[in-house]
Parts: sequence; C-alpha cells; structure tokens
Amino acid sequence: MSERMTRAQVPLEERGLTPGSACQGCGAALAARLAFKALGPNVIRLMIPCCPDTMTNNPLVVGVFEGGGAHLSGISRGLKAINRTDIKAVGFFGDGGTYDIGFQGLSAAAERNEDILVITKDNEAYMNTGNQRSGSTPQYAMTSTNPIGPRSRGKARPKKNIPMIFAAHYVPYVATASVAFPEDLIAKVTYAKGVEGFRLIIIQSPCPVGWRYSPEKTIEVSRVGVQSGVWPLYEVVDGDKFKLSYKPKELRPVSEYIGYQARFRHVTDVEVAEVQERATSNWEQLLKSDELGRLLI
Amino acid sequence: MSSEVIVGNKACATGVKLARVQVASAYPITPQTTITQYLSEMHANAEFDFDFVNVEGELTAQLIVQGASRVGARTFTCTAGPGLLYMHHPMQETGTWRLPVVMAVVHRGYKGMQPDHSDLMSQQWTGWIHWYVEHAQEILDTVLMAYKVAEDMRVRIPVALGYDGYVLSYTAEPVDIPSQETVDAWLPPNKALPSILPDGYDARKFMMELMQMLGGGDPQQAWRSHHEAIVGSEQVLRETMDSFEKTFGRRYGNGMIETYMMEDAEAAIVAMGTIAGSTRAAVDDLRSDGKKVGLIKLRSYIPFPETDFQEWAERVKSFAVVDRSICPGKGGPVFNKLRSTVYNVEERPDILQFHAGLGGKEVRIGDLYSVGEKALKVAEGGTVESLVEWV
Repeated sequence: MSERMTRAQVPLEERGLTPGSACQGCGAALAARLAFKALGPNVIRLMIPCCPDTMTNNPLVVGVFEGGGAHLSGISRGLKAINRTDIKAVGFFGDGGTYDIGFQGLSAAAERNEDILVITKDNEAYMNTGNQRSGSTPQYAMTSTNPIGPRSRGKARPKKNIPMIFAAHYVPYVATASVAFPEDLIAKVTYAKGVEGFRLIIIQSPCPVGWRYSPEKTIEVSRVGVQSGVWPLYEVVDGDKFKLSYKPKELRPVSEYIGYQARFRHVTDVEVAEVQERATSNWEQLLKSDELGRLLI
Repeated sequence: MSSEVIVGNKACATGVKLARVQVASAYPITPQTTITQYLSEMHANAEFDFDFVNVEGELTAQLIVQGASRVGARTFTCTAGPGLLYMHHPMQETGTWRLPVVMAVVHRGYKGMQPDHSDLMSQQWTGWIHWYVEHAQEILDTVLMAYKVAEDMRVRIPVALGYDGYVLSYTAEPVDIPSQETVDAWLPPNKALPSILPDGYDARKFMMELMQMLGGGDPQQAWRSHHEAIVGSEQVLRETMDSFEKTFGRRYGNGMIETYMMEDAEAAIVAMGTIAGSTRAAVDDLRSDGKKVGLIKLRSYIPFPETDFQEWAERVKSFAVVDRSICPGKGGPVFNKLRSTVYNVEERPDILQFHAGLGGKEVRIGDLYSVGEKALKVAEGGTVESLVEWV
C-alpha cells in the first residue's frame, strides 16, 4: 500500500513537454503531469491511440490501439533479456485501450503477472474521436453515440468495474486515483513504481468537452466525484488486501456530481435516485472491505 | 555437428535455440503447435537462456516480440493461417519500425486446415521479407540466415519464413545440426538500437530522429525507405548465402532462387516450398524421357528476384508458374509478379499459370510432369488450350 504523502513531498521536477496539445481544463493532461513526476526519467513510456495529454521527456514507444498490455509485456521482457530491469515499462492509456479494444491483452498480461505498470486516464468515452461511448461511459451519460431521443436515455448500462475486474486477476497492485487528490495520486504511482509484477492505476480524468462543464471546474468535478462515492479512491494488493484511501464522514449526494455536467442534463429524479442507490451500496460494500482490510467482492 | 531425424517444427525450434533467441512468444495453432511445445520444453529444461511467453492470442505474440525487439532483444514468433491474419495489424508496425523479428509461418489455408500459401501471401503489404523453404534442413538453416539478414544494419527488416504445414511440420527427415560454437561464431548477437533506452535520452532529439525515420515531413519517404531497404536485402541475402556455405558447407542457390537441371533447359517450372521438392522428381522423370525441363525454386518472394528471372527469361523459352495461392478474381501472385518482371526482356518467354495444391490438394509428381510437358510444348512453338490451368 502507498504511504501518505504531503504536498511538500511532491517532486518539483516537471517531465511534461510544453506546449502540449490538450484542451483547456483537460483532466488527462494533469494526470500525465502528476504521474510522470512520480515516475521520473528511468522509464520507457508506451502510448497507444488516445487523447493527447501531456507528452513527457521519456523514451516513447507508439503502438497499436488493441495491443497496449501485450506490447508493454514485450518491452518489459526485452528489458529483462538485455539485463536492464532498472528501466520500468509504463503504459499510459485511455479508457478505450483499457476497458474495450485493449482489454483482452491487458487481462492476459495481468493473468501472466507481467512486470508492467499501466496507468489509465479515464475520461469515460472516446474523447479523441469526439465523445463516442466506451465501456467506461457511466449509465445515462449522453455521448455522440448515445444521443437523447425517444428511444434513448443516454448510455443504457453502467460502466465496467474495471479496477475490481483486474483485482480479480490477483495482481500485486490495483488502485484508483483522481486528479483532485494529487498527493494521493503521486503516492500511488510512487508505490506502484517499486512493485514487481502487474500494476494498474485508474485515474479519473474529467473532460470538460465531453462531460460538458466549464474547463475551470475540472478539479471541482473530480473532487465531488470522489466525495459522492461515484469514484471511490482505494488500493487492492494481490486481489485481497484492501484499503480506502479517502473516507469522508458522509457522502455528498451524487446529484451534486451529476449537476456539474451537461452530459447528464436530461436525467430525471428517478434516474438520479437509481445512480445514488448504486453509489451508496457500492460505498457500503467498500467500507466493509476497508474495515476488514480484505476485499469483499 | 550431429545428425538427427526430426520433423520440420523441431528443425525450426532447433534453429531458434542455435540462434540464441532471447525472447520468443507464440500461441498454439495447428500445424504450428508443436514449435510452441518444443520451445516450452527447451525453456522448462533450461536448454538455453531465453524467455518463452505463452500468450492468449497471436496478436499478443506479435506484440511481445515487437516490444522486446524494440529494446534490442533477439526475438522469434511463429503461427499459421488464421493466426497470421490475426497478427496483421501489429505486423505492419513491426515492419514500419524496422524491427528484426523472425517469424515462422507454417502454412495453413483458409478454406480448411490443409496447407497452401494463402496465409503468408495475404500479408504482402506488411513490409516484411517473405521467404519460402522446401525441407526440414532448409528450415533450420534459413532460421539462422533470417537473423543474419534481418539484423544487418543495411536491412533491419523482419523476416517471415514460410513452410508447408503437415507436409513439413510433422514429417521427419534427417537434419544436420551444426554445433553451437559454429553458429555463435557465424551469428553475432543482435545490436540494440540505443535511442529507445532512457540513458541520456532527449525527447526533442528523439522526435527529430523519429521524424527523420518517418520521412522528415514527407509522408511518402517512409514508404520509400522501407521499400528500398527490402529491395536492398537481396544483396545481403546473397552475401549471407555465400558466408553460410563457407561455414556450414551447404547452400540454397543464390538465396533468392535455387535452380535444378536448368543449364540446358528450354522450359522452366517455377515452384515454391514442398511443391518444389516434388518438382525435382518430376524433372528427373522428364529428363529421363529426354525432355529439357528444369526447376527454378523461388525462395524469396519479397524481395522478388527480378534480375534472376530477367536473366533466365533470356535463356528459356517458357516458364510454367505453379502458384499455391490465389487472389480470387486476380490470379496467382507469383505468376502475375513474374510476368511483369520479364515484360521488358526483348524476347521474353511464354508464361503459363498453374493453380495447384490449394486447400492442401495433393500435387503428384505426375501432375508436375504434365506441367513440364506443357511448358516444353509451348517452348517448342506449340500451343496449349489455355494459358491458365487448374491442376
């Protein structure tokens, strides 16, 4: 498990290359900036098709969309073969490359416990191509392929619980993080960097364009997502040991989180209540696991 | 050196071992499967120091070797038929990034599981070197030569090495196995391309190098340099064949083609893989009947031996091309390529197209005898009913 970090411990050195090509208020650009501060120079970064975030001063390999986990495994195996285990193979993927098209290879890499670190900037849709739905899009969100109409209330089904799916591969480390909690995010990446085996960190990365809120609200949206239990922060070690990273005394209502985002502007009170119920019951389950220190699935 | 009676897939795995491959990865598919088993056994028994990754699909197998090759490891993968199709997308990248991966393709067709060349032929646009071999000894020897050519700094292109499933993969033949010391002396370790390691890494410099490699802002230049590197590999293969013979005492023609009874031939049968083997026997029969027919075995389909065929086009009066694959609606790939290759030869020979062995259909020595007869008839000024025939 990661150790609590203070702001003073956050590395000062920036690895991002400017100017970047991300949109204003891009959560993913911030996620990359923070994550690579923690990773430092001795990594090979694998990029697969995704939104532009923050390019960093690290060796960059660009690979096929569907092959993130597999390609990263190859880089890691190759580094072992040339006796350079000091260099870490790190993938910085989007949700499409993690939840959808890249899922098979990533699941298999987890099953083989490949020595790789995968960081996913989760903006909950194919934002690079213009906000089409992905397996990560939450229920009722409007996307360009889930328009609202007589036959559609936005996306029909909830998002995949991808951190728990990977925890169920019994891998050394799975964590969730948020750009609104930078010390926690950096602490988790720092911990994951030193672990051998398969590691996955999913970072909630709000997208002002796709989620439809004002760019200056990224941190607020992200924070309320965590505080309402929609995006709980936690760590799972070996698919078993469990710890909540952030436990508000009381959850804020999910309506606050939803209210920021025009992708949900069509939702009814009944639909909000449904989302609330799922968030609450999931939170209660996580609290129980946290109490036990063991994951109850 | 020792001599053993082994199947084609064992000869292939033995070549991989002798080449001291560092990272291999594969997914089982008939008729390639036993290569993965031989490699797994070699790994389990620590027969040599390598990493073998048993993966969940061919796409991953190709990406494992692509990733490992990026950082400079010597890599190997193998597949067949549908598995090769599943690799198609990352194969393009392995070619584009000029990674010296070597892959065995144990031919399996799409219309059924029996062998034809439609699998590897369907991957012509992926930017690899494509070779076809005839027997188990040639598999082992060509695996070694593949690394020598792919890793040459003048080439840096992945090599796909095709051999017929079942007929070669599961058939035992005597194979001379060179000693590890001999191979080590002939095949030096792969050199890493240092630019991808973080040591002294500078992103802006790397981006400039990348831009340069991708054509310096001219998007067409990336294709041009890729094409020219593959065409240039012909010279490297010829050199490699000469040095292989010096060290190991065997050779396969000039590397691009291998000829049999061609010195005084009036007509030539052009064939690949195991059909070339049967054609040798057919040529023997034709010769004992006084018919001047020879064999040109096509080893390298990409790059295509253009100068060789242009030279032979001036010496023979007809070519009979036996294609073991077809692009439906377009015809046999070797026939079409050969015909355009000799177009500018002043007195070019007639060229006959024979479709044979598709879907694993048996091709008998008698069938090839008749192919030779028809070629000779045309060479002597006679006519045949059709220039295209299904054997």
